[in-house]
Amino acid sequence: MLKNYFKIAFRNLLKNKIYSFINIAGLAIGMAATILIGLWIYDELNYDSYFKEKDTIAQMFQHESSNNVIGTGPAIPRPLEFAMREEFADNFEHIIMSSWNYSRYIGYGDKNINVTGNFMQEGAVDMLEINVLEGDKNSLEHSNVIMLSKEIATTLFGSENALGKMVKINNEHTVKVTAVYEDLPENNSFNGLKYLMPWKFYVATQEWVKNSKDSWGNNSFQMFAQIKDNTTMETVSSKILDIKKRNAPEEAEFNPEIFLFPMKDWYLRGDWENGVQTGGRIENVWLFGIIGTFILLLACINFINLSTARSEKRATEVGIRKSIGSQRGQLIFQFLTESFLIVCLAFAFAVGIVILSLNGFNNLASKTIEFPWASGLFWILAIVFIFITAVLAGSYPALYLSSFNPVSVLKGTFRAGRYSALPRKILVVTQFTISVALIIATLVVMNQIQHSKDRPAGYDKEGLVQIPVMSSEFTGKQDLMREQFIASGGATYMTTTSSPTTSVWSNRGGYTWEGKPEGFQENFAHTTVHYDFVETLGLKLIKGRGFSRKFATDSNAVILNKTAVKYMQIQDPVGKYISAENPDSDMIPLKIIGVVDDMIVQSPYTPVKQAMYVFESYGNISYYNLRLNPNNSVSKNLELIENTFKTNFPNIPFDYQFVDEEYGQKFRSEERVASLARVFTALAIFISCLGLFGLASFVAEQRTKEIGVRKVLGASISQLWILLSKDFITLVVLALVIASPIAYYVMSGWLQKFPYRTSVGWDVFAIACIGALIITLITVSFQAIRAATANPVKSLRTE
Amino acid sequence: MANTLLSLNEATRTVNSGNNKVTLLDNINLQVKEGEFISLMGPSGSGKSTLLNCIGMLDGFTGGGYTFLGEPVHSMKEKNRSKLYKEYIGFVFQAYHLIDELTVWENIETPLLYKNVKSSERKGLVADMLDRFNIVGKKDLFPVQLSGGQQQLVGIARALIGKPKLILADEPTGNLNSKQSTEIMELFSQLNKEGVTIIQATHSERNASYGSRIINLLDGKIVSE
Repeated sequence: MLKNYFKIAFRNLLKNKIYSFINIAGLAIGMAATILIGLWIYDELNYDSYFKEKDTIAQMFQHESSNNVIGTGPAIPRPLEFAMREEFADNFEHIIMSSWNYSRYIGYGDKNINVTGNFMQEGAVDMLEINVLEGDKNSLEHSNVIMLSKEIATTLFGSENALGKMVKINNEHTVKVTAVYEDLPENNSFNGLKYLMPWKFYVATQEWVKNSKDSWGNNSFQMFAQIKDNTTMETVSSKILDIKKRNAPEEAEFNPEIFLFPMKDWYLRGDWENGVQTGGRIENVWLFGIIGTFILLLACINFINLSTARSEKRATEVGIRKSIGSQRGQLIFQFLTESFLIVCLAFAFAVGIVILSLNGFNNLASKTIEFPWASGLFWILAIVFIFITAVLAGSYPALYLSSFNPVSVLKGTFRAGRYSALPRKILVVTQFTISVALIIATLVVMNQIQHSKDRPAGYDKEGLVQIPVMSSEFTGKQDLMREQFIASGGATYMTTTSSPTTSVWSNRGGYTWEGKPEGFQENFAHTTVHYDFVETLGLKLIKGRGFSRKFATDSNAVILNKTAVKYMQIQDPVGKYISAENPDSDMIPLKIIGVVDDMIVQSPYTPVKQAMYVFESYGNISYYNLRLNPNNSVSKNLELIENTFKTNFPNIPFDYQFVDEEYGQKFRSEERVASLARVFTALAIFISCLGLFGLASFVAEQRTKEIGVRKVLGASISQLWILLSKDFITLVVLALVIASPIAYYVMSGWLQKFPYRTSVGWDVFAIACIGALIITLITVSFQAIRAATANPVKSLRTE
Repeated sequence: MANTLLSLNEATRTVNSGNNKVTLLDNINLQVKEGEFISLMGPSGSGKSTLLNCIGMLDGFTGGGYTFLGEPVHSMKEKNRSKLYKEYIGFVFQAYHLIDELTVWENIETPLLYKNVKSSERKGLVADMLDRFNIVGKKDLFPVQLSGGQQQLVGIARALIGKPKLILADEPTGNLNSKQSTEIMELFSQLNKEGVTIIQATHSERNASYGSRIINLLDGKIVSE
């Protein structure tokens, strides 16, 4: 029986090649898109799944409020560790202090490479189940040692045995390699962990870390933890909530609350707003999940439309089968078998498409997804997916086709009724509503990105290069280097900063000034800078002046940005002083010498934060910032700068970043979403057009006789073209009318999450509408014109 | 005396056309005994086809009683009705109505599939049937590759494969030339002699004469017998 059904299905497929192609190609593309999205979602949801203890691992997070706004983040003070161990040790399997993910130079022989990693307490290897391939699993218990990932060990030592080798860290300290561990995969929060060094070493070698032992106000560290199996995140969080408040009454004004942020939320639900978890990447998971479902739906609609449109061809078969004893259920089963077969074929093609496009997709989504050949789960889901698609696409046609009355279809009087095309029309409108809504949404996303890119950055990003100088070898050499860089002709200005131009590494409060409002809890983005700061970055001075060697007092001077002046509610700021709020502090009051226009340092979507740029002669230098000589080519400038650098620091690799490229990184995540959305929108449109093409050719075929008669009666080709295209255009216009308000509503909502945002303008709708209409016309006209130009004698004779 | 195969008691069939109620079959009383060969005659629109379809249970009477082998068809559910005609009734159509996508062999085999006959048994039955009708050589051809007469032979073979008690033939020779017609009618009378009850609708006096009984219909009524 089944064999018989398959046979019929196959012969039907072969007999109607165009329809088969449209059906299978449409479904295959739709399924391929859905599979890709599925793989992407699976990858996103399984971020951090490398860690077997994912469900019990957490990071300590802290809420702190200032001026009634709650800020949330992972930075915690060092004494928290001691209090935590003393009061709550029995809740935890592990409590692990950690530095941030730093990049350091690791040198061996004549190699010196830049590697990112963390300083962590012993237990980290155990908690994260880092797979130590060779050496001592308990290395972190010692001090002058380093654990290296396989990749780094191979880069440094090649095929030589890594264990026991002595390597130089930042050309400063010599430590011994005591373990090599398996590289961590890309899709986890510790993917930057290419080396692991003992926390003890960090404390011993960094003066400021050693000194922070009791400072509850210095939120400069991270703490990870694994809770015991017999408790829950919520329970532990509620216990530790007030630990900082109790131990550090002086911090109480910020109402600090410590809690566990579970690993399973790190990646997907990492957004906080005023102390409330507001989502994060999970929104993109939903977004693409919905897009994937839509695309599949579009492909299924094609199948439904073409099957029912061509029902008259199958009607006789239904009649015969009924007359020789088939029950309706058996016919339904037969047609479902047929759709199942087609979906299976489409799935096979879809797998091919996925394999061919996976590389490109990975580039686009910046993922490293592989096709899960060996995954049982994948194939089980694939079967479920095939069944769902087959039922989705096949049920309506099966129910419709099997409902025919055998007497009327066999008598030949069967005509699909006047309203039989109505469901088809509704489905076409649905298809185009989805497609047009996707076009509008994609345009809005692209507009928003462009809008933010066009936002004035407040400084001149082009021709600006930053060189990281975090090794102590650089200490005290910035004046010399400035002279040499400028003398080389590669740069016109240079300044040093404590943070990169595109980021804020320090936020500070505890200041006072003339006219400071009562109870004001200030918090500034704090960067230390040097002479020529304004000139190097190309900042726009609004008031006052930049730091200058002519004024000896500039060693205790500060420049504010425009927002800071407003924030501080200070009149005529230039010449006034900012001093420490605590009268016992030894901080020398800072004289405000200038105000610069706001410069975008953090997110290009949010308002610029109040910032102070404090002059500092020595220490705390992280970057050299160089303004390239505009009279030379970029490569010439870089060559000159590199030579100067190499002469002075022969042992340090010359690393540099273009500031405009770094700035561009800020858009990457949105751009990734946009480019994925663009691809899937294009697919959605293509699938919809494929269906429309099929329907158009069906209608042209069905109306051959009518067209012939009209032609004989004197209708022109253009009249016939309009006649045949009109219906489809009406449907698409209807879809535009439905899609526009929905897209407007949804995208206005989406834009709300960007404080700096574009509006959903009429131009977006105009482009989407005109685009959709043109595409429809092209799709439909091909068939319409072919039918209209056919010789009427021929079409009338065949009847 | 042969058993009664079916009986119609004041069977009526009406349809609604717009606001008018149109009576297609009007109080038909008919007894059919096993082994009869009945020819239904009458002009177009007299109700021949409707009567055949109703007897064949593709269509239903809207009034009156219909008993088939002692079972009241008019009060049966679709499923049971389908079981009944699958078991006992075979159709032959004027336009043959073979399934275009199936070969001769597969067309004949299809009713057996619906009766859940085993594969090995099906093979034997189909082979016998091909043999009997001398179309073994055509078994792998598709209907479009056959002449009208050959298609109708396949149609009859398909109707017979389920060993029905009753064959309903609606103008079986309507699309055939006279030589082919004769062959088909000879075949029918041969089958009838073997015990199959046949009811055919026809325009042709000559074809009707093959039957043992002629019923004339006019405007949905039996006018003479």
